[in-house]
Amino acid sequence: MRRADDASLVVRLGGAWRLAGAVPPPDAVARELDGARVPRLAVDGAGLGEWDSTLVAFVAEIAEACRVREVPVDVRGLPAEVRRLLDIAQEGPAPADEPEAPAPTGIERIGARALRRQERLREAVGFVGENALALARFVSRRARFRGQDLWLLLQQSGAEALAIVALVNFLVGIILAFVGITQLRFFGAESFVADIVGIAVVRDMGALITGVVLSGRSGGAFAAQLASMKATQEIDALQTFGISPVEFLVVPRILALTAMTPFLTLFADVAGVLGGALVGTTMLNQAFAGYVRQTAAALSMGDLLGGLVKGATYGLLVALTATLRGMQAERAAARVGEAATEAVVTGIVAIIAACGVYQYVFFLFGW
Amino acid sequence: MTVGGEVIGVRGLTMGFGDRVVIRDLDFAVRRGEVYVVMGPSGCGKTTLLRHLLGLQEPVAGEVRYGGEDFTGAPRDVRARMLRRVGVLFQGSALWTSMTLAENVALPLEQFTRLPPSTIRGLVRLKLSLVGLSGFEDYYPWELSGGMQKRAGLARAIALDPEVLFIDEPSASLDPPTARRLDALVLRLRDALGTTAVVVTHDVATILGVGTRALFLDGAEQRAIAEGPPSELRERGPASVRAFFAGGVAET
Repeated sequence: MRRADDASLVVRLGGAWRLAGAVPPPDAVARELDGARVPRLAVDGAGLGEWDSTLVAFVAEIAEACRVREVPVDVRGLPAEVRRLLDIAQEGPAPADEPEAPAPTGIERIGARALRRQERLREAVGFVGENALALARFVSRRARFRGQDLWLLLQQSGAEALAIVALVNFLVGIILAFVGITQLRFFGAESFVADIVGIAVVRDMGALITGVVLSGRSGGAFAAQLASMKATQEIDALQTFGISPVEFLVVPRILALTAMTPFLTLFADVAGVLGGALVGTTMLNQAFAGYVRQTAAALSMGDLLGGLVKGATYGLLVALTATLRGMQAERAAARVGEAATEAVVTGIVAIIAACGVYQYVFFLFGW
Repeated sequence: MTVGGEVIGVRGLTMGFGDRVVIRDLDFAVRRGEVYVVMGPSGCGKTTLLRHLLGLQEPVAGEVRYGGEDFTGAPRDVRARMLRRVGVLFQGSALWTSMTLAENVALPLEQFTRLPPSTIRGLVRLKLSLVGLSGFEDYYPWELSGGMQKRAGLARAIALDPEVLFIDEPSASLDPPTARRLDALVLRLRDALGTTAVVVTHDVATILGVGTRALFLDGAEQRAIAEGPPSELRERGPASVRAFFAGGVAET
């Protein structure tokens, strides 16, 4: 960098300018421009070696610094290729495809989100209503869907979930038994662990854990399936044939999960009790048959049926929230993952909330 | 192919998303037997118009009529009945991925006719052979090339012998020879089945190849700026329409 005779600034660039190498920052030039008045700036590239876009970026920065300070720039000393790239870069943005709306302010964004919330709540209420109508059509055998889809869904959300549901509940049974024994030991009442595990598992934990597992497993899958069908316009295709997507896609999923969850809960109860029995027989040296008899004595038929009803409710809630989130997804592939995540979160929250309501109601009625 | 009376009528249609208007005050009629092309640059509202014609999106103002019957204001079951006379080939073909080609074509037949399974099987074979896909009945959509998926989508669209066939961007993501073959297939099916077709596209070769009449949407002006036979629009249309044709020809 040097001053020419007429006080104009000449920036001489030399050597190699590579992305892989070191590049000087353009600040020095800007500082020089801010010093004594500069009538014009010339860039001289006579000594340039190899160069790539780092050079162009450097010159573009200098040119911008000059433009702001209204100093004319002369880049004729640079290779033609560099000048061509500079020309393209300085053309300015391409015309937008769509007229751009002004960016919303913070308050507008909050308002828009609130309105969106309201909109989604209205969608949810409408969705439940639409499902009720579609279920009525199903009962009167007028719903349009394929029987084979329902069988497949029953298999996918029922039989195929059995192993994971049993495993998780078995482990929960073990945990409950451990906690039970360590606490009951203070009162010398550890022999009651079979009662505690049995009641906890059969009345609540079996259904609850099953619901949570299904929310992650079937709920996420339902939402992803529907959202991706939306992205590929498969749902539009159904609608244009006059086939209601709720009847064709949502009702079979809700029926399948609601029907299968009580059965899975039954297996979950057995697995949970077996988990407890494993701890009871090894830590307390109880006989397996005795443990099972003690569990059976502690439980009533009402406990079992109550648990199964809860299971069916959780299945219904998981299926409803998951299909709702899937149908609410926007028509884009990127929304599939979001829909699945939201479905799992909403499903689990709904289950836990319902569990709380059940506790309160059962407590009120002394069940 | 003789061109007859009005099949689709659009009156004062204004389309938009929220506060943003895409196209305003659209008026046009599609006549029986013609291939009506809706064209314009990307983002001008072509696909949005198609979604309005199919009732997938509600208009800000105006109405759509099918065969003189109000579609926009009709209750849902009436709409569904009217749409049963319509077939759609979506841009990405939108075949139901969990079903085979035969099941895709059979589903509308199973849902809306009381035909015995053997008759439906025969119909499915016929429709697939019309689009050159006989022997592919048991393939799943993802086992086929893009061009074959489009043809399968076309077979599903003509499953119920529709009066009107809607085709969204037929040449999208197809190589030029495959796209031309699809254009030729559309014309042949139109002649053979006597359907009316509405084609939404920005592909100049398709427009000139299949269009009886064309409507040019201008996104910047938010309205339709020209209507007429494509070759006439190319020669004597407004400047921006001629530039669109010229640019398209230069590209392909």
